[in-house]
Amino acid sequence: MSAQTGIASIPPPPPSVRGFSRAKVGFARLLADPNPVWMRELKAAARLQRTPVVLAVTTGMMTLLVCSVGGIAAIDAEPAKVGVWLYHTFFSLAFALVAWMGPAMAATGIAAERSGGTWEALELTGLGAPAIARGKFLGALTYVTLYLVMLAPVGALPFLFGGVTALEVVLAFVVLGGVAILSVTFGLAVSSKFSSPALAILVTLLCSIPTSIAAYVGLGVGLSFVANGLWHGVAAGPPVWLPTAYSRAEFGVEYLTLLVLVPLALVALPAWLFHEITVANMAAPSDDRSTRLRIWTLVAAPFMTATCVTCGVAQKDAGWFIAGVVALMATYLFLGFLFAGEPLAPSRRVEARWTRERAGAGRRFLGPGVMRACTLLLLLIVGSFAALLGAAALTLRVASERDGVLALGGYAAAFLVFLAGFAAWTRARSRSSGVPKVLLLGALFLAVVGPWIAMAIAGIFESTERALLIAAPSPLYAFHLRKVIASGGPDADVAALAGSIAAAAWLVIGFGLFALASARIEQRLAAERAVRANLEGSSGQG
Amino acid sequence: MSALDVTADSGAPASGGAPVSAPPPAISVRHLWHRYGSLDVLRDVSFDVAHGEIFGFIGPNGAGKTTTIRAMATLLEPTAGSVHIDGYDAALDPDEVRKIIGYMPDHAGVYERITVREFLEFFADAYRIPELGVVDAVIELTELAKLSDRLVATLSKGMKQRLQIARTLLHDPKVLVLDEPASDLDPRARIEVRDLLLELRELGKTIFLSSHILTELSDVCTSVGILERGQLVVAGPIGEIAERLAAERGRREPAAPVPPDLAAPLMPPLPAAAEGGAPNFAPEAPPAAVVTPGGAPIPQATRKRLKLRVLGDSQAIVPMLEGGSGVLGVEPGPGGSLSLYYVGGDQYVAEVVRYLVTSGVGLVSVEPERNELERIFLEVTRGDLT
Repeated sequence: MSAQTGIASIPPPPPSVRGFSRAKVGFARLLADPNPVWMRELKAAARLQRTPVVLAVTTGMMTLLVCSVGGIAAIDAEPAKVGVWLYHTFFSLAFALVAWMGPAMAATGIAAERSGGTWEALELTGLGAPAIARGKFLGALTYVTLYLVMLAPVGALPFLFGGVTALEVVLAFVVLGGVAILSVTFGLAVSSKFSSPALAILVTLLCSIPTSIAAYVGLGVGLSFVANGLWHGVAAGPPVWLPTAYSRAEFGVEYLTLLVLVPLALVALPAWLFHEITVANMAAPSDDRSTRLRIWTLVAAPFMTATCVTCGVAQKDAGWFIAGVVALMATYLFLGFLFAGEPLAPSRRVEARWTRERAGAGRRFLGPGVMRACTLLLLLIVGSFAALLGAAALTLRVASERDGVLALGGYAAAFLVFLAGFAAWTRARSRSSGVPKVLLLGALFLAVVGPWIAMAIAGIFESTERALLIAAPSPLYAFHLRKVIASGGPDADVAALAGSIAAAAWLVIGFGLFALASARIEQRLAAERAVRANLEGSSGQG
Repeated sequence: MSALDVTADSGAPASGGAPVSAPPPAISVRHLWHRYGSLDVLRDVSFDVAHGEIFGFIGPNGAGKTTTIRAMATLLEPTAGSVHIDGYDAALDPDEVRKIIGYMPDHAGVYERITVREFLEFFADAYRIPELGVVDAVIELTELAKLSDRLVATLSKGMKQRLQIARTLLHDPKVLVLDEPASDLDPRARIEVRDLLLELRELGKTIFLSSHILTELSDVCTSVGILERGQLVVAGPIGEIAERLAAERGRREPAAPVPPDLAAPLMPPLPAAAEGGAPNFAPEAPPAAVVTPGGAPIPQATRKRLKLRVLGDSQAIVPMLEGGSGVLGVEPGPGGSLSLYYVGGDQYVAEVVRYLVTSGVGLVSVEPERNELERIFLEVTRGDLT
């Protein structure tokens, strides 16, 4: 029974009910027993007197802007062109509104619970961090949706002028919905880390404004040219191309992959990650903050690998494989930073829960612990690069290109192994979870830039080609290596040797640090156990 | 543990030493240690709270009260030791413990833009309480019915505190853990909270409350624990602690000679007493002068004050009381008020009242000074935080 709605709860369906029937019951339960945090957020928001004022002002300003643009454009352009102008103007503004306001509104959600002193009461209800995060997400998303609904009549104006179809307007709103989901989950993830709503809003805006501008330029204007190359019906240049592509592109494998799967993944994977970060930040330090993030990793990393492999194999082009290597490097760098903050080992509370619930080895492996996390990272790195380089080896026909990609990928994988080992080692030696991330960033910067500085100094005394060998420890050298190997120049062998030595060194150091980290963690855990036993033992005697 | 410890703790686990069928105590804290960096904020804290008790947790700011309470509320995993609530380990089995405790943190916040009823309905849903009537029942119990449709933002501090207590009661917890429930409240609100706590005790709840307002605790608590610098210096029922302290003093120092006036017969024999045998008014031997562990003298540790009010002039009563056994002094005041300084216990007070009434004195009110807890606190604590 939901006290807030007064509706009787629907019991969960028995295990015999499956498929669509089960989903139907689940949906009915959702309606009858909605998330309590969401319901409370809606009630509180309804009483906020400034809400209708802000909504009305925003809508009024947007209407004026769109009408102004339309008026200016209509002086010497035909209505269909005016419609297209209005379409891009309106949805660009709406994108900015959603991308900036969404995170800002969500950013207060959890930080306000902490600063308002209601967090502990909420935490102790047993509702659980995932349900609270869901409620907060739904609350903020509803609020953003309210803006979109208010703006919908203005958004329909372009359709009246022509140049765009009603479906394209509707699809643009759907795309905005996807942006809203991303924005809100990002805002909540930031909010979960802070105790001050003002600070959370500031950090959120500092991140979301430049990111959204970059996304608008890169994914909007930039990708429109690529889209135009693939589907000529899609105009090159205007930023809001994706909704038009849905109605204008020819249906096929590329449509399904690039217009359905990739956009879905681009929204779903980061939104899921932000949600899991929110849940992890909301959980107590003694609770299991790792498993859900690890499950996300287990889905995201293979998905990224599969995407990179598929693109490379489909295009049969070395450039796509190089892009794949870069994408995988970025993914695993991010995961390295994510895992560097892991606790040394599961807490007593988590261990007790595992024992109580008879958790298997798989579940325990995905649980808290920096060695577990870095082991998983190592396995994924090896697996992903093996798959990508294997596909490159089988697909690329030109030997020099193939060898270049293999050299680049092999070096990148070796360097990532070093980073995983370094992350484990710094965490093993650090008392806080923040220090390893800072050290990791420092190490990355030194490894990337340091050898090039040394090379620049050496270049004064040596020839450029010989001096370049000094830069071999930098991961950026791998790109030079690929170029040299692909071009088949006279220095290819020397460069390959230098690159191999550097990569082998990164591998050895990485595994060495990994072993050191393991030993250090064992030592620290034993010391902690001894302190606890000592305190409890001495108390007992006293 | 301190030598003054009067808990039943013997260092055994929560159920250790007890018969298998014996129910576990409502709260059992065993050898609790907690470290922040190299600072020990809790050092070997152990105590039990039986079912149905109101346990007052006293200590100066920074003594470790809130850390202990957070460990009890499953919000903190201690460095060592354990907290069991009704037999469940708070660190290892937080879900079960959260079902049986109602926790109100210090300076707990409220959601301002919803009504009192909506606030409680939200928490009822968050606790997944299946019955709608619970909210009404809690509103009635906490006397919030008249305010149920008011916005929380418009409530007074006292009412917000009452709302917090109502919130902790929604899932019918066995144990209430209240951190400074009366801090920042005006006298009326404090009295209301106190009365509510007594009512809850009548309903069988075990209440653990922390405070540094001793009078507030002495009015409601059946037992207390005093924490100083992360160590529990004493714990147990107030009367029992007082007796133990007196015995401790007796062991530490030779008893002071009984003043001649205390050894003298109390007063002119009362008629009733003369008929039925003279009642034994001989007061307990006064304890020796006591100082705190820090060496500070404890004021009035050996004498108590009884505030009386009589019809007519209180000056007339003074000769009747002066010189009686156990009487250390009599001070008449305006409006028929009178302060009697004495050495003795409740029995002594009862005899004095009987004597005055049978002597035809128009006794209007008798108010013993409730300073026992304050005296205990001063005696067992050092008064410094470092």
